[in-house]
Amino acid sequence: MLALDIEVHRRDLTVAVAFDVGPGERFALFGPSGAGKTTILECVAGLVEPRRGSVGLAGRQLWSSEGARVPYWERKVALVRQDPALFPHLSVRQNLFYAGDRVEPATVDRLVSALELGRLLDVASARLSGGQARRVALARALATSYRAVLLDEPYTGLDASLRRAVTSLVIEEVTGRGAPAVLVSHELAETQAFADRLGVIDGGRLLQVGTPREVVLRPACRRVAELVGYRSFVACAGGELGVHPERVMAGAVPGAGVVLSGVVLAGRPSGVGFEVDLEVGAAVVTCRLDRDPAPAGTAMEVTALDPPAFGPDGVLVDPGRLVLR
Amino acid sequence: MAVPSHALAARASLRRASSVASLAGAGVVWVVLLGPVIALLSHLSPAAVVRSLGAPGALGPLAVSLEASALSLAVLVVVATPLAYLLAHGRLPGVRWWEAGLLVSLLMPPLVIGLLLVFMVGPATPIGGLLGGLHLSATNTFLALVVAEVYEAAPYYVLGAEAAFASVDRHLEEQAGLLGDPPRRVMRRVTLPLAAPGLATALATGWARAIGAFGAVIIIAYHPYGLPMQIWTTLDETGLASALPFALVLLVVALPLPLLAYGWSARARARH
Repeated sequence: MLALDIEVHRRDLTVAVAFDVGPGERFALFGPSGAGKTTILECVAGLVEPRRGSVGLAGRQLWSSEGARVPYWERKVALVRQDPALFPHLSVRQNLFYAGDRVEPATVDRLVSALELGRLLDVASARLSGGQARRVALARALATSYRAVLLDEPYTGLDASLRRAVTSLVIEEVTGRGAPAVLVSHELAETQAFADRLGVIDGGRLLQVGTPREVVLRPACRRVAELVGYRSFVACAGGELGVHPERVMAGAVPGAGVVLSGVVLAGRPSGVGFEVDLEVGAAVVTCRLDRDPAPAGTAMEVTALDPPAFGPDGVLVDPGRLVLR
Repeated sequence: MAVPSHALAARASLRRASSVASLAGAGVVWVVLLGPVIALLSHLSPAAVVRSLGAPGALGPLAVSLEASALSLAVLVVVATPLAYLLAHGRLPGVRWWEAGLLVSLLMPPLVIGLLLVFMVGPATPIGGLLGGLHLSATNTFLALVVAEVYEAAPYYVLGAEAAFASVDRHLEEQAGLLGDPPRRVMRRVTLPLAAPGLATALATGWARAIGAFGAVIIIAYHPYGLPMQIWTTLDETGLASALPFALVLLVVALPLPLLAYGWSARARARH
């Protein structure tokens, strides 16, 4: 179990968070750049010292305000940073086996195969591309005997199929070892694919923790809604409704959600469907539909599926309390 | 849009002209910097070299220079390397003050260094008195020669070594720690190998400064004679022709290490 309750002061921000990650559990921290995600990982790893609080792992205090101090080279935390930090004077093979007797050769073989590193083993690590270096860094971290895995934006530079392979690989490894894992990303889809639970962080504070589905369907506040993709907010008496472009269907289906009537402003192709901007009262609602939008100026009705409602203070409220104007 | 052929031809001509100009410039630099060496070699005959160096006691200064400089280098490596590491990692309070102090000593004329050393370690000083109690002296002794060489070479070595340590990416050292290496092992397995090219250059510079030290040496360590003092006194007593063979010997012993270090350092940097 990883237990974190810390306050960290940076020059521009104070990060204050508390959460636990159970053995074999996968926790993701999602938020914009500068929110404090990397700082949290560095605190767990021991590279940054909190101002107060505690960091516990596998029943042992790694750091506490009361004086516990385990140096980072003794924490057995596998941290994969944004900078792969491969040792340039060593080959890929030497990088993979750097941790010496903490490395299990059978695990290295498995990781090399899963991450397609076989033909790179004897290459000087300084000659690798960015994506190759990231895969080696991931294998190097996962090959050691670790008590927790921390991944900081591990998908950068990887194509879609390798991202899926990395996700599956990490899930398999941490589940097999029963180690808590924390992944940090500013890409929602990747955190959702990885995590059992998702924490949304902004301005150094955890705004919401829940399952990936919960966080997207029931964002705890307007800010979380904005971060997880709600682009439109329609004013109501008593607050506003959040509309997610992918949670809208064409036509009026009152039983499925809230019907919005408006005028088409613009439409454009988006993936296999279309994105339509609809003027609803004073708001512009963006919808993803699977049919050709009507021309601009046409009246149109859409249904927002079970939209979250926010009170005047921006906090999630019961949608029954609001009346659409 | 395709580039017209006349524009391509003009670019090719410009590149050729730039290469020629660059080579010519390098040639001028070689001639200017190595001119004195060429002049030295052109004024020496093998017979004159053998005659000068074959005289009784002629190679004594060579032995003194080699011993003193080797010892100075050892002192620098043992004492100044950790200092350079601490400065590079910001572990010493007032890093900028340390660097300013080193720069001041680097910019001081060597003769002035020698005069100041007299006031610091001369026989009438507390340090001189302490040494005297141990039957040692830091003036006109082998010890004094080592002290003078260390003072002249230290700022060059420390600042060069500091730059070498600072060039090692801190993330790499942290990563080694995250993989289980305590700081000493990180130093051995990551920091030193990656800093080695820069350290080699700093060491070579320190060697060249130590073995060629003269300004402080002539004030505080007139005896025993190292090669620079031998050249000076021979020039003064016998003339230029007699001094030139010792100048050649000084070049022969002073240059190889820096040249080797530079070559190895350049190849190592290219690999990383």
